Amino acid sequence: MIKRAFIGLTKPKLKCDLVEPGPKEPEAIPIPPRMIFLLNEPLDSTRESLIKQGDMVKKGERIFLYKESQEYVTSPVSGKITSIAPFTGDFGKIATYLVLERETKQDIESNFAEFAATPDIETADRYLRGTPGDPPLKQLADPANHFKKIVITGVDCDVMCTTRQYVLTRFRDEMPKALTLLKQMTGIDDISIAMPETMAKLSAFNGMNLIKVSSDYISSLPPMIMEKHLGIPFVPGKESRDLEVCFISVEAALSLVRAYEAKEPLYEKIITIIDKKGGRTRVSATIGTPIHRIFTQIGVETAEQDRIIIGGPLRGVAAYTLYHPVMPDMDTVIVQDSSEIPIVSDYPCINCGKCVRICPANVPVNVLIRYLESNLYQDAADSYDLFSCIECGLCSYVCTARIPIFQYIRLGKYELMKMESEIETEADNV
Amino acid sequence: MFKQNRFTVSHAPFWHDGDSIKTMNLNIMAAAIPATLFGVIQFGMAALGVICLSIASAMAWEALFSVAAKRPIVIHDYNAAVIGMLFGMMLPATVPWWAVITGTFVCIIVGQQIFGGIGGNPFNPTLIGVAILALSWQNIFNFDTALVNYQFTFTALDPLAALKHQGPGVVDMFPLYSLIMGNQVGAIGSVFGAGIILGGLYLIIRGYIRWEITMAYIAGIILTAWIFNITDPVKYATPLFHLLTGYTLLGAFFLTNETSSSPVNLIPMLIYGVIGGSLTILIRNIGAYADGTVYAILLINLINPLIDKIRPKAFGERV
Repeated sequence: MIKRAFIGLTKPKLKCDLVEPGPKEPEAIPIPPRMIFLLNEPLDSTRESLIKQGDMVKKGERIFLYKESQEYVTSPVSGKITSIAPFTGDFGKIATYLVLERETKQDIESNFAEFAATPDIETADRYLRGTPGDPPLKQLADPANHFKKIVITGVDCDVMCTTRQYVLTRFRDEMPKALTLLKQMTGIDDISIAMPETMAKLSAFNGMNLIKVSSDYISSLPPMIMEKHLGIPFVPGKESRDLEVCFISVEAALSLVRAYEAKEPLYEKIITIIDKKGGRTRVSATIGTPIHRIFTQIGVETAEQDRIIIGGPLRGVAAYTLYHPVMPDMDTVIVQDSSEIPIVSDYPCINCGKCVRICPANVPVNVLIRYLESNLYQDAADSYDLFSCIECGLCSYVCTARIPIFQYIRLGKYELMKMESEIETEADNV
Repeated sequence: MFKQNRFTVSHAPFWHDGDSIKTMNLNIMAAAIPATLFGVIQFGMAALGVICLSIASAMAWEALFSVAAKRPIVIHDYNAAVIGMLFGMMLPATVPWWAVITGTFVCIIVGQQIFGGIGGNPFNPTLIGVAILALSWQNIFNFDTALVNYQFTFTALDPLAALKHQGPGVVDMFPLYSLIMGNQVGAIGSVFGAGIILGGLYLIIRGYIRWEITMAYIAGIILTAWIFNITDPVKYATPLFHLLTGYTLLGAFFLTNETSSSPVNLIPMLIYGVIGGSLTILIRNIGAYADGTVYAILLINLINPLIDKIRPKAFGERV
């Protein structure tokens, strides 16, 4: 953890870690006997589900919860479903988790193979959602979106993360294929590659649009890349897809390439594990592997009250169990020792102004937090720029009163979105 | 299945720069030590008694109020201690004990706790205490009578009071070097200008006070005093005399910067500081009081919420 410097006259600058020179190959984690999948759809007891406990699934089979379901997970092994249960995530988001016991006899379903010769976005969305890197195929396939640009990001969005940089460095020679494939699938010609500005051996990227991103923290966040490098001004409350830019991680782009080459979906996700001492190990694990399997194999120890961070230290989420599975977008897992965990407080804002100084979006955080603490979300959005926040987490990082500002901001945004969708549903019902 | 560890689950960010209200307050108190220590050497153990009583009674008032209001007792954040210490520094060494205790009551309860405690006070709590005490018992802050029994090797007159009553002719009796080295009659913590500047610079370097306010306040003092001085040097004293006397330096480095009653945006900080400095001089040169610092800062506290609305456009806001 980077602490406050003795000289506090200037605001602290966080640097994103760069991938180490000459990185080792990721350590392969064998497929475990029991796997866990998260299906992004809540269980509904009033409907007849397509899958039941004891059902057999084949390798490559897409598992849907209900007949009308759009969401699916692709099983990387064949086996028997032993449990289906609800899972509650951040902000009460409900998903379903499935536990699969691997069978010794592996049956393969290869519906995708017949489409693999002619890549297009519809079939990719139908068969390749949830491949490593989590390509935004659903967004790309949605006719409501009109993407004009694609940015393949080889930079990580948080300070300690290096997985995307590693993938870009290690597989740079495959980038032309990724570009050709994405062009062919989407028909979008304007594709750029975001990379750390220190990236060497640029000859591999001849003729490609390169975006060289500084290693200062937040330079790699999509709104900053758009504003600074693409000349697309940020609009509060709008996401990159509303501004017609699609961000796809370099790993996602490469897994699509490999899926089309091998004519079957890919399941191995590259993850950087950072232990309590800061030691990095890169592993390649099958999606659905519980993280305790990885920890056991590479010898990472955890103790009571430690924190398991999925993602980076400023924007990640904490997992509450080591049975949390490897997910398609899980780039980094950090173990934080219990003694390192900063305590938040219920102090009110003392108006010291550190948040205002550090905020890259000029949000008046000191006033905003007063409104958010009083649940005045609409006022916060109307008068105090709630939606200008680009969610970097720096305000909470420097807060002297240790207020969980970042969480208040996300809660405020979430509550407003919820209210908006409720109003829309009501209007539809009238 | 093995026994699972229970992990700490919370929201991002998972890092913190390690700062806290307690650290901030301890740093402010540490920065106030040079000036206070000099006061104790200059005015003897009586001064130490005042400072200790002031800190202790301020913390006690906060604890008592917390019990009465059924709030958790948080005196270990040293918020009350800082207020008490600054209050003590603004008193003469011979102040009666009951005045200290009454004063800290006003600082802590009236100045801060009734507004909701730390972070809720619209005015600098220390100055509320000083202002109310000065209005109620005028003689307490008459440094000439308060320190009448002391034998000093320098001019034993409160420079600002002398200036008020006898005009700028007295300025020659107070060499600037002597003033900055603490050879003047005044409050315990306000006489040793060099010590205050030292502590203040420490706080600026550590980032615990907003240097913009301090600099703007000093600029306001110098600019306004200079304008007065060039228009009529016979009637008005020089800028540096104003800067080194009374509560000016204490105000610049420790009082205008009180977090919850001062602005946080750049332009408002500059306006706030400059207005504060000008008001101080206006009160001194035209108003009825010898030292205008206290009322000037309370007045700028009043405009703080209004001017702090001047702020840069947020990211993506183009209108």
